[in-house]
Amino acid sequence: MTSPLESIALFHIGPVPVTAAVLVTWAIMALLALGGFLLTRRLALRPSRMQALLETVVETVDSQISETMRVPPAPYRPFIGTLFLFILTANWASLVPGVEPPTAKLETDAALALLVFLAVIVFGVRAGGLRGYLSSFATPNPIMIPLNLIENVTRTFSLLVRLFGNVMSGVFVIGIVLSLAGLLVPIPLMALDLLTGAVQAYIFAVLAMVFIAEAVGEAGHHPSQQRKDP
Amino acid sequence: MTIDWWTLGLQAVNITVLIWLMARFFWRPLAAIIEARQTAAATILTEAEARRAEAAAEAAKIAEARAGIAAERDAILTAARRQAEDEGRRLREAAAKEIAASTAAARDQIEKEAIAARGTWATQAGQLALGIAGRLTGRLAPGPLFQSFLTGLADAATALPPDIRAGTAEAGIEIVSASPLDDAAKEACRVKLSDALGAAPGFSFRVEPALIAGLEAHGPHFIISNNWRADLARIEAELNHDRPT
Repeated sequence: MTSPLESIALFHIGPVPVTAAVLVTWAIMALLALGGFLLTRRLALRPSRMQALLETVVETVDSQISETMRVPPAPYRPFIGTLFLFILTANWASLVPGVEPPTAKLETDAALALLVFLAVIVFGVRAGGLRGYLSSFATPNPIMIPLNLIENVTRTFSLLVRLFGNVMSGVFVIGIVLSLAGLLVPIPLMALDLLTGAVQAYIFAVLAMVFIAEAVGEAGHHPSQQRKDP
Repeated sequence: MTIDWWTLGLQAVNITVLIWLMARFFWRPLAAIIEARQTAAATILTEAEARRAEAAAEAAKIAEARAGIAAERDAILTAARRQAEDEGRRLREAAAKEIAASTAAARDQIEKEAIAARGTWATQAGQLALGIAGRLTGRLAPGPLFQSFLTGLADAATALPPDIRAGTAEAGIEIVSASPLDDAAKEACRVKLSDALGAAPGFSFRVEPALIAGLEAHGPHFIISNNWRADLARIEAELNHDRPT
């Protein structure tokens, strides 16, 4: 058994190594994008069952964003919704024999955390401007600036570690049990891993919403007043 | 533990591309169709609300028209009832007048017929009385009957005013009898009437059977009747006098 902390390049495209996680990520991308395209080709005002199911997904994501962030959901829907669907699909990819979830690799989780980190900045700047966003670090007073900067990094790191630890440990445990006990014994653990994967996807999306909402809220408060003053 | 920064960057790009693809092909179309449905539902609700308002307005118009029709119907019925009452009253008054006129005409007719009947009966009664009287005079003794008529005639002459009685001395008196008088009867007339008048006028005698029985004295200014024709005439006059005209 190889270490879950190591990524082995299957092949290289120029200087870029392509690992199994990247390949699975591409497959998930193709599945989600192509599926989304095919399923939304023939939308109608009188929805089919599939359309009603997809609309339910959209409305559920919207309601979660509205309840968590207290803002109109439309600007944040693609980011939050795609994060949730990708992490969920990636976590459940372990159901396919021989496939290791890309979220079980540190680079994928780091990329997700990095995107959340950047999204917090982008949405914060969009809500209150660059000055407003930067001044939000001085909340409640300038003494807190270093702590707020560290908090931004650490909470992003916590996202990375939480997702990676949960998914990687599930895969690792199932691998150990499978190597020791045989074919059917890991099934309950796999079921538990499905539940853990769904919960982790939900937690990651909710935390991303909380971080973005905090940045949007704080950047939108003081800076907007400053901007109104000529 | 090592991190492959190439893989990290590649995964970040991959997920960013996925976010764009999903936004383009999944989230946006679904959000658009949801919004379109909400817009359509809002439009339909607005139209339904407008239709309902129109229907309510139409219902109000119909109710108003119905109220107008009912009021017009009531007015027509009231006018017809009033006209019928007026017509009935007019007909009743006309009938009452006609009945009154017919009653009056009938009453007049009955009155006239009664008068005519009474006249007829009186005439017949007079004729009957004349017949009876004629028969009775035929059966009675002529002497006492003559004396009775003569006494009555003398009493009537006595009751005359003195100047009229005195006037008879020169003009004379005509004695009319129903049957011829014999000499004794004529003498009795002379004596009795001369005493009654207080004078001695000249006497002439004439027979007139129409008197039935009795005597009549014709002076220059008077006629004294004491006979049955005069009595019957008086009775008839009294009967006729009793009849309403």
